[in-house]
Amino acid sequence: MIKSGDYTTRELMAVAGARELQDNQNVVVGLGLPQVATELARRTHAPHINIILEIGVVNPAPIEPTVGIADPRFWYKSEYFTTFVGAMGQFLHRGLVDVGFLGGLEVDMYGNLNSTLVELPGGGIRHFTGSGGGNDIASLAKKTLVIMPHQKRKFPPKVSYLTSPGYLQGGSSRREAGLKGGGPEKVITDKAVLGFDKKSGRMKLLSVHPGVTIEEVIAHTGFELLIEEVTTTAPPTENEIRLLREVIDPLRMYIK
Amino acid sequence: MTKIVPMEEAVAAIPEGALLALGGFAIARSPVAFVHEMIRQGKRNLTIAQCIGAFETDLLVGAGAVKRLIYAGGTLDRPGPLHNINRAIAQGTIEVSEYSGFSLALRFLAGSLGLPYLPAYTLLGSEILERLLQEKNPEVALGECPFTGERVVMLKALQPDYAIIHVPRSDPQGNAIIYGPCWDLEAALAAETIILTADEIFSGELTPQQAQEVAIPAPRVKMVVHQPYGAHPTSVYGKYDYDRRHIDEYVSCATTPEGMKKYLDKYIYGVSCFDEYLELIGGLRRIQELAADSLKKY
Repeated sequence: MIKSGDYTTRELMAVAGARELQDNQNVVVGLGLPQVATELARRTHAPHINIILEIGVVNPAPIEPTVGIADPRFWYKSEYFTTFVGAMGQFLHRGLVDVGFLGGLEVDMYGNLNSTLVELPGGGIRHFTGSGGGNDIASLAKKTLVIMPHQKRKFPPKVSYLTSPGYLQGGSSRREAGLKGGGPEKVITDKAVLGFDKKSGRMKLLSVHPGVTIEEVIAHTGFELLIEEVTTTAPPTENEIRLLREVIDPLRMYIK
Repeated sequence: MTKIVPMEEAVAAIPEGALLALGGFAIARSPVAFVHEMIRQGKRNLTIAQCIGAFETDLLVGAGAVKRLIYAGGTLDRPGPLHNINRAIAQGTIEVSEYSGFSLALRFLAGSLGLPYLPAYTLLGSEILERLLQEKNPEVALGECPFTGERVVMLKALQPDYAIIHVPRSDPQGNAIIYGPCWDLEAALAAETIILTADEIFSGELTPQQAQEVAIPAPRVKMVVHQPYGAHPTSVYGKYDYDRRHIDEYVSCATTPEGMKKYLDKYIYGVSCFDEYLELIGGLRRIQELAADSLKKY
């Protein structure tokens, strides 16, 4: 039996991400925990998952740690190479992507994401990564999983720049905007797993990680969370921990 | 007919203020040697279009050669951010039009097909779209599908004056073979004129196998520059790995304008050609360390 202390928070996050994936799904994957979570799903309950990289790579099976989707280590044993339009158009825009992973600088109460810029206290801005394929994934995937560190400033009521749409202003605003994808399904943080109220589009607390209190989550969130029934995030199994440490991320680049 | 020209001559063909598509993606297949020569020749006021920002574009912005950037954001993957681009946007020293990767790819695709625009369901509801709609001469518009009435974003065709694409292999006519993913194909085919830089020139008649591998066909290519390791320090799948050591040095230099100036002085202004730069980064020995494994392709 696995006890808290036998695994790291990031291992727990990877496991929580993996459990959101189902067999035979098409998943757009990025570097870091999304890759680790998808690999874990593929080696446990979802052996036929299809992995798509926006750069134009389908179903790679990397055997070495990578530094990003432009790292050819990530393309190893790929089954299909294509173009940007081939990956993000003929899979994603066509509506064939079940799950996409997202991250960013800020996520707000409706799951909107900012990965572009922050305004500085003294005026002016600092510019960051921008969208990449993030906006496309948020717009078009059947559902998205957001992975974020849980800090108050990263969870503001409203993002300072809306790079990638969640439920926009809530209610039916996402659908009215003409967006085809389903929107954010879960937000997985280092403290909790959160979801969204189907009607209002507002973020709600689903489970806290072992050892984390509801109060702690509230204190690290910059807006009012919906809180109904809250469970404890299920810990990793011994097999999941073994796969993460020995097979998927032996150098502990992403799960430390 | 051979289209092989020296680097200096190919770069000299680019006029001041041109609209260029560059082929790189983060730290993969960037036309670095071409950009070095553009910087040495003092090109200015360029508009650069690129789906995902990459090493060579950060270099060009850092050298002050870019007036306007049309891109969808980007990084150098884990090695670091695109410091020069981020700084220039924050300080307002370049104009920027920010897209999502796919929406910009569609602008290139429309350009490559000779269509006026292409509709899509992406960008809707975002601040990216809001800002693009507010541009002085907007290149996107909101509309509706004439058949279903659904809301669509209309993305105006983009046909760059030149596309600069680095490829592992080309024949002298410009039949270019690209291994691995081909994210830059739409951008290449959208351009008025394609200039290739190639690590290797192969000659003789194309075998049927080679013909299958040709990604960019000779009739679309105007010039071919032979430049071994011309994408260094970025990778060319099937040819060589990215040079993490050099990229780390670049990122630490690019953190400040002063550091960037030192980098440019040492590696670009301080040499007369890319072969000299390759000596500077470790020469034959370093290059052999980066050579790709024939099975892994990196």
